[in-house]
Amino acid sequence: MDSVFFYRNNIKAASRSGALQKIKIALQPNISVAGWPTEAGSNALAGFKALENATVAEHAVKAGAQLIGYTRMSEFGFGLKNSMAGSALQKKAADVELVLDLAGEARLAALRAGVCGFKPSYGLVSRFGLAGLIPSMEAISILSMNIKNIRGILQAVAGADERDSSMPEEKTPDLKPTKIDPKKTTLGVIKENLSEMPANERESFDRKLNEFKKAGFSVKELPFPDFSQFLAVHQIVGSVEASSCAGRYDSVRYGKREPQAKNWNEMYLSSRGAAFGKLLKSYLIQGAYFQFESYAAYENACRLRARLVAQMKNLTAQADFIIIPAVNQAASENPATLAETYTQFIYTAFANVTGQPVLFLPDKSGAGFQFTAARLGDGQLLSLGEYLQGGGEK
Amino acid sequence: MEFEAVIGLEIHIELNCATKLFCDCPNNPGDEPNVNTCPVCLWFPGASPRLSRAALEKAALLCLGLNAEIQPVSAFDQKVYYYPDLPKGYQLSQAHLPLSKGGWLDITDEDGSAKRLRIHHIHMEEDVAKLVHEMEGRKPVSLVDFNRAGAPLVEIVTEPDFRTPHHAMEFLKALRAQVRNVGSSECSMENGTMRADANISIRTKGTSQMNTKVEVKNMNSVRHVGDAIAYEISRQSAAAQAGEKIVLHTRLWDPEKKVTTPMRAKFEGPCVPDPCVPVIKLSKKEIEELRARLPEMPAVRAERFIKQYGLAAEEASYLSADAEIAVYFENLIKEGVAPRAAMHWLTTQLMPAAKDRNQELSQAKVTPARLAALLKMLARDEINANAAREVLAHLFASDESPEAIVSAKGFKQVSDRGEIDSLIDKVLADQPGAVADFKNGQGKALGFLIGQAMQASGGKANPKVIREILTKKLEALCKA
Repeated sequence: MDSVFFYRNNIKAASRSGALQKIKIALQPNISVAGWPTEAGSNALAGFKALENATVAEHAVKAGAQLIGYTRMSEFGFGLKNSMAGSALQKKAADVELVLDLAGEARLAALRAGVCGFKPSYGLVSRFGLAGLIPSMEAISILSMNIKNIRGILQAVAGADERDSSMPEEKTPDLKPTKIDPKKTTLGVIKENLSEMPANERESFDRKLNEFKKAGFSVKELPFPDFSQFLAVHQIVGSVEASSCAGRYDSVRYGKREPQAKNWNEMYLSSRGAAFGKLLKSYLIQGAYFQFESYAAYENACRLRARLVAQMKNLTAQADFIIIPAVNQAASENPATLAETYTQFIYTAFANVTGQPVLFLPDKSGAGFQFTAARLGDGQLLSLGEYLQGGGEK
Repeated sequence: MEFEAVIGLEIHIELNCATKLFCDCPNNPGDEPNVNTCPVCLWFPGASPRLSRAALEKAALLCLGLNAEIQPVSAFDQKVYYYPDLPKGYQLSQAHLPLSKGGWLDITDEDGSAKRLRIHHIHMEEDVAKLVHEMEGRKPVSLVDFNRAGAPLVEIVTEPDFRTPHHAMEFLKALRAQVRNVGSSECSMENGTMRADANISIRTKGTSQMNTKVEVKNMNSVRHVGDAIAYEISRQSAAAQAGEKIVLHTRLWDPEKKVTTPMRAKFEGPCVPDPCVPVIKLSKKEIEELRARLPEMPAVRAERFIKQYGLAAEEASYLSADAEIAVYFENLIKEGVAPRAAMHWLTTQLMPAAKDRNQELSQAKVTPARLAALLKMLARDEINANAAREVLAHLFASDESPEAIVSAKGFKQVSDRGEIDSLIDKVLADQPGAVADFKNGQGKALGFLIGQAMQASGGKANPKVIREILTKKLEALCKA
């Protein structure tokens, strides 16, 4: 049994041409490819084969890329348990991996594998064909050692899709590389991120900021006292959306149906009971709790979300890019519960709540940092990455 | 203690769109089970709903036809509950931001006064799949047909303005006529394209408080609605008189036993805003463009019928109320039939005949062209009224032209004056008693003699000519 791959595509395309003709892509099995076992890491979809390509897969293939297979993933992409995202890159089996980011999973997988990870702006990339979990927050993200590859993939897959009407109606931004002049660039850092860091983390973060200052960037401290609210908002709204999204896995039309049920109610309870793992069940039950028992809390979380989005917009107007830590050192190595899983995401969940793009760059120190910009600033954000890696437009 | 009833209705109407609400599957529930399905309406993983613009416009036209105010912003919510006829564990509906607010329909109350019944709001929602329960040998099984899953519906929620079964029945009839006129639905309770539930409570006459209501379902015709409401009012009144407390619950109407019986409470799920279907925004300009597309409303059409065709107010009102009748009427006139004749034959002959044969006017074999051909023969005196009525029956049974039927069945009227003259001479000779009666001033004898002449001609003679010639001859006899 392959520890990294869940499924390998042994069919080699005849000849490939296009901007991505030299690129090998490993996908997570929540991105539909016709005929492949699109099981999304869950018993709920055991034996399920996708009927048609997800838009993302379709675009990649049309641009000449080779889809080499599905990597092992966590259940529906929630958390990192059983996820092998990033390993295919380490093993050099693929040039690019497509990984779902619900709360920061793709970025933390990039950190774990020591590669770059990019979460595009929400609504820039079609979710048609994605067996997802949190419709208003999820984004198919791109991992690679090389930012040039990331930009190439984004250019091939971004843009309006008539099959996904949840994408905001807006002009697709220009994704071509641009020149970064440090002397004309302001880097923001969130005051509360700094003050809440443990001492050793703070030290390495300050060192990083000094590097930027030496390179000519202006570094600006920005206040965001409500930043810590992102996690609770994500947890409430995300679990509510997940509970609804997973409602379709009832074994009536597809999926494994538990035998011996005496009526539809028993069938639902036993089939859905067997379909989901414990962690995901906790998440879904929490979402159902907010829907049925504590709707006012959910409404408040939605209002708070709007406020946080506005506050973040304010910040991204004051700096070209914002640098944010990636790792919560205090988080558990192997989170078992819902609460433990969420502590991993205290620095990453913000981007799923606001829909802004994030670039994770690995660091020699082993930590690594996130860079974010205003929503739809994906092109410029990748340019910053290219600059910092020593490439980029001169 | 006198009670008054406080009643509100919730009416579901199936829009007659070609496709479903969120995908392009054909909206034909009667087809073979599960042929009109796709990954969207079956809610496969990765599926994405796409709101049908055509359905939105049909719904909006329906709202405008009911005098409602289209909301510039409306949105879909997820009504969460679990049942095998609901493929994704939630129904897409509009709980928080409905498509329209307000609206009304006017009816005539039992005392002849006008009564306005107000609408609270109208929202869009998708229909659920159809469940069929069968036995597989000794094992009960349930089969699910997803043809209907995702079909476009609107739900009309009224204000609790209704006080009597009459109000409810008249409202439903007016609603049916208006929505059919707009063209958004066939609104047939028999076919299930219109379904009505009632919320009924009672209070002491003269007070204004709202008491606990009871929901009544399973009323499958306008008649049932009236009967069920009447029963429920008396049931609640009796309970209140006996000092029993009315509890919020749902009851089913039993049309055989003519009672309502309590049913197990339906679980009311929460409504969460849906993150996949974009918010619906309709500009003032778009709403006005839709309003301009509304077909001619009955009141306006009635005015026009009075002016254009010289009909009386009541006649115009009747003919203009239903779009199907109005269109048929005007088509007859286009084919050259006089307005009064068109009206008479349409309402007294054709419509009852079509109803007896369970045919809709617009589907009836007797098209305006065929009926017009018949009525023009009548106008030219080629046949008489009796014969015309018989030919009409044949028009339903066969595809032949009226002319062919008249020839084949020998209905052609004898108008030949010479023939009729000799026929009448014979009748006068055979009926001296009646002739004498006429001479003595008994006018009824004329009618008798006309009848005899008609009989003698085998019903074929032109009665007008008979009367003319007979009258002349009798008058001549009187002078003689």
